[in-house]
Amino acid sequence: MRPLAYALVLLGALAAGAAAQSTHVLVVRGIGGDPEYRATFTEWAGSFVTAAGERLGVPAENIVYLAERPDDDPLAGERSTRDNVELAVAEIAQRAASGDRVVILFIGHGSYNRGESRFNLPGPDLSSAEFSVLLDQLSDQRVVFVNSTSASGGWLEDVSAPGRTIITGTKTGMERNETVFGGYFVAAFSEDGADVDKDGQTSMLEAFQYATREVTRAYETDGKLQTEHALLDDNGDGEGSTEIGEDALDGQLARAFVLGGGAAATPQTDDPVLARLYGERAELERRVTELRAIKDTMDPERYESELEELLLELALKNREIRQREGGTTP
Amino acid sequence: MRRRHGLVALIGLGCLSAAELSAQQGAAAAVQLLRSGSYDEAIAALDDLRTATPSASHLRWYARALAEVGEYEQALEVLDGAPAESGVALANVRGELLLATGDVDEARAAFTRGWEGGAPDAYPSRLNRAILDYDYGDRDAALAEFDTFIDLYNSATVLPARDLIAVARAVSYLGVTNKDLYQDALRAFDEAAAADPSSLEPALETGLLFLERYDGTSADTEIERVLGRNPNHARALVAKAKAMQFNGSMGVMETVEKALETNPSLVEALVFKARLHLAATDYEAAAEELEKALEINPASLEALSVRAAASFLRGDVQAFEADRDHVATIAPDYPELFNDIAELAVNHRKYREAAELAARAVEIDSRSWRGLTLLGQNQLRLGRIDEGKASLERAYEGDPYNPWVVNTLRLVDSFENFGVSETDKFVLVLHDREDDLLRTYVEEIAEDAFAALQARYAYTPPLPIRIEVYRDHADFSVRTLGLPGIGALGVSFGSVIAMDSPAAKRLGEFNWASTLWHEMAHVFHLGLTEHEVPRWFSEGLAVHEQHAARPGWGHQPSPGFLGRYKAGLFLPASKLDAGFVRPSYPEQVVDSYFLASIVFEYIEGRWGFDPILGMMHGYRDGKETEQLIEELLGVEPETFDEDFDRYFSGKFETALAALGPAEGEHGESILPQSPSQAAVEEPGRFTARMEAGLEAYELGDLDEAEEQFRAALRLFPEYGGPSSPYWYLALIHERRGELERAAQALARLNALNESNYEARLKQSEILEELGDTEGAASALESAVFIYPYEFELHERLARLHTELGQHEGRVRERKAILALDPVDRASAFYELALAQQAAGQRSEARRSVMNALEIAPSFDEALELLLELRGGGSER
Repeated sequence: MRPLAYALVLLGALAAGAAAQSTHVLVVRGIGGDPEYRATFTEWAGSFVTAAGERLGVPAENIVYLAERPDDDPLAGERSTRDNVELAVAEIAQRAASGDRVVILFIGHGSYNRGESRFNLPGPDLSSAEFSVLLDQLSDQRVVFVNSTSASGGWLEDVSAPGRTIITGTKTGMERNETVFGGYFVAAFSEDGADVDKDGQTSMLEAFQYATREVTRAYETDGKLQTEHALLDDNGDGEGSTEIGEDALDGQLARAFVLGGGAAATPQTDDPVLARLYGERAELERRVTELRAIKDTMDPERYESELEELLLELALKNREIRQREGGTTP
Repeated sequence: MRRRHGLVALIGLGCLSAAELSAQQGAAAAVQLLRSGSYDEAIAALDDLRTATPSASHLRWYARALAEVGEYEQALEVLDGAPAESGVALANVRGELLLATGDVDEARAAFTRGWEGGAPDAYPSRLNRAILDYDYGDRDAALAEFDTFIDLYNSATVLPARDLIAVARAVSYLGVTNKDLYQDALRAFDEAAAADPSSLEPALETGLLFLERYDGTSADTEIERVLGRNPNHARALVAKAKAMQFNGSMGVMETVEKALETNPSLVEALVFKARLHLAATDYEAAAEELEKALEINPASLEALSVRAAASFLRGDVQAFEADRDHVATIAPDYPELFNDIAELAVNHRKYREAAELAARAVEIDSRSWRGLTLLGQNQLRLGRIDEGKASLERAYEGDPYNPWVVNTLRLVDSFENFGVSETDKFVLVLHDREDDLLRTYVEEIAEDAFAALQARYAYTPPLPIRIEVYRDHADFSVRTLGLPGIGALGVSFGSVIAMDSPAAKRLGEFNWASTLWHEMAHVFHLGLTEHEVPRWFSEGLAVHEQHAARPGWGHQPSPGFLGRYKAGLFLPASKLDAGFVRPSYPEQVVDSYFLASIVFEYIEGRWGFDPILGMMHGYRDGKETEQLIEELLGVEPETFDEDFDRYFSGKFETALAALGPAEGEHGESILPQSPSQAAVEEPGRFTARMEAGLEAYELGDLDEAEEQFRAALRLFPEYGGPSSPYWYLALIHERRGELERAAQALARLNALNESNYEARLKQSEILEELGDTEGAASALESAVFIYPYEFELHERLARLHTELGQHEGRVRERKAILALDPVDRASAFYELALAQQAAGQRSEARRSVMNALEIAPSFDEALELLLELRGGGSER
């Protein structure tokens, strides 16, 4: 229970501050190689950029998209050279306020050779060690770094740090086959279906879990051996996790990280009645979460009965809120 | 073969007379001739030698040479005429000859004489006596005797090859008590080979030991070493045939027959040949071989056992009991009679009897690991899982290297990952990962099949019927054979069915529901005939039942199938069993399924179903196919075959005329000219029309393509394979917006092909567009029978059921979506709750919506539904 209580406090703090913070997005689309890969990577990158701006409300000026061939990609800004990546990170570091959220997504091919992990860019590649130095400029921000490339598992050790969420498409540098993780990760934001807890927003953890499950399903459907196993690390220990339960060491930050901010956990209002109702609803939701956490220790019938009671209260509270807000349809 | 050798001998002797041979090379050269398989030359040379110098060594080699070609009596006569002082030295070979001709007591006396008299081959004599005792006498005493060979080995500094072979063989017998000794036996054989590199025995014995230890590849390598030096070695050829059978190679019978060319009196070969005949249910041929074997050696336990098995399988109780009792008298500790019968009973699908017989073997010898293995496997086949596991665990204790046992125990251990659900008729066993998804569908099909077959056969098989569904084909294969690699999709052991789940195969490879129907039919066939039904009958009738169950189910004609008919490869209808049990060309088993089903189509069409039922009763009563054809159809088998052939050629008259002699499986052929030219030149040829249609389709000339495909259809209207003209016609009509015609083409195609998933999805889409919601749903329902793992399929089906007001179907599909473990489980539970609410399942709906809210407490719609379900009214 103690780790869970800690987590709940932490989540509350992060959620409460969410509305006031800005989100910055950097998408880097590396070398595609074959036309087929180029098209796929361009589609993924474009979908993510579009979703961030149009679905999730990240201001256009906060979105930077570096592409292999910017002339062929209307959404792209500069070319995705190593220098431009360095420049983009430096600009975000300069622009972002303390506590702002930064999401960096790498799409393309990666490699791993003699202990060195690289992201294949036009011109010189970018290594995990070099990028780790760049990330140090963002120590005051909440950073999510997603490297969806092949062999990206090799990046984890270098870029892992406290307060930072790292997602890699593979579990080691040795998983060198092309990955499909990136596509599903992007789909978690560009399509419906990843918002598992129905709070109206997709957290990084939900996106990660959505993508990992869909990757497994894709390989099973194709009857192929799965050659990529994504990891998430956000406790700074450099050890990623695949299965992330409620009380797992990893996933606590990712659970609270919402791209673009979305709806705040507790909406802001000047109406004191509504504010009270929102608070009461949040309290009921918190009690549901707490009850769920001790489910295994309870008699099933009692658990069900208490859960139903809370949920009915929550449902009625929702109705009150909707009536006060002036609408009726959920 | 003897004659052939004789001819060679004359030529050989023309070059090199025995006298010259003796002068130049002596006995060593004669032995070399013997070892290289030049038997006639060797015999002639050794005859000269023993006449000139009747030493024990020359006589022994001469007798052995005669024995190698089966002249046992002549060899014994030679030994009887030997000088008295050679008696001890020749005792062992004499014992071997006496044993080969069935004089067990005299053989034992001879071996004793050789051992106790201190013959040069005293240790082989002692070994032979111990082996004789192991088979015919007291097994424990024999094992004690084998044990002395370990002392011999440990105390001797150097042993000659013949003694090392004796040690190795003794130690291999001891392996039954200590599995590690098999390695020691192999080592001793290696040492024997090193001690006498010219001897073939170590390699042959090593090969046989490998075979006994389930290593067919190594066995084959060793046996090939022998055959490389002596391609006529009869025992090596039999060993080769056994290894080939073990390894699943073709040409087993031919190899045994080659062995018999060298030694027509080799009982081991005759019995093996009889076993092959029995596996193919050719009792007469088996009996012929066994009579020959027993004439040579009336005490052959193996021949007596297999004859007992044949009698047992034919229901000749008196003959069975006579052989059984005879073996019990002459070899009271010998369990293999029961093991042999059990093994053959399995080939004849008599699993209950196999288990009982194996239990008898284990009663006789508790160390019969073979018996325990057979017992365990058959208990499992009978659905007695706990007993089967216990038996196999005992077998494993004694023989942990038996791959059948190891594989099966691993599988049984994995049963903890399977869900078991019971209904009044069925026990459904499905892997946890797909239990929730498949259970409902499997139960529905099983119920449908049961009801249909029960009405048709007026019979109820023993209940419950256990249906095991494996998502890994290797597991299904192990369940069936004990080894991976089975080609089938399902198997029925009576009231136990094992089959592949749709996950075990690639999309479109099979229709699991159709397979289940087929296996359910077997449950009825086996039960009704008390497992006496021949394979061709049961398989053909099961496919016939598939055809009757749903349009498109079961085997369908292909150009390859009809091409093989035209090539004259098909067996007559009344002799189809050989096509299953002794196929003579690669596709014959598959062809035989379909061909046999057409036999039933023909019988039912001409005589009705009653004679088919009557035949099943006849099989149960021990009658055979030809007799039943005469009795119940009123025609001679030959007439029946001719009439059926006319029916078949009439049924496919158009297609047969439209297929060239070299049509491929899918109608493809290499045409010497362009497809369009070929179609012009050969307008009556199916393949030419198809290829011309494809060429036009690819060029975008839809009118020309349609004309060619329609012409192809007129030539082979029954073809629903992957390149069926119906598929292309559907695409053409769809592209032109002629949706009704596209739907018609797809309906025809799906009525000819049970596993075309894509065609069913397309049919559903088009029907929905045409407003035929019911037809659209029906097409998707049939797609579930092919591949039920796609969300989209169940989503669409749920929606169609909703539109049709079919609440039960909607609930089922919503459950299927949940079972597929979607990422958004809260929504899936919510949708299920809505479906359950609509179906009046209020309490289930409440539970489902609670599940949704447990995952997502902020889920507004679900909260509202919960209030509604709890009587709080609705805002909507």
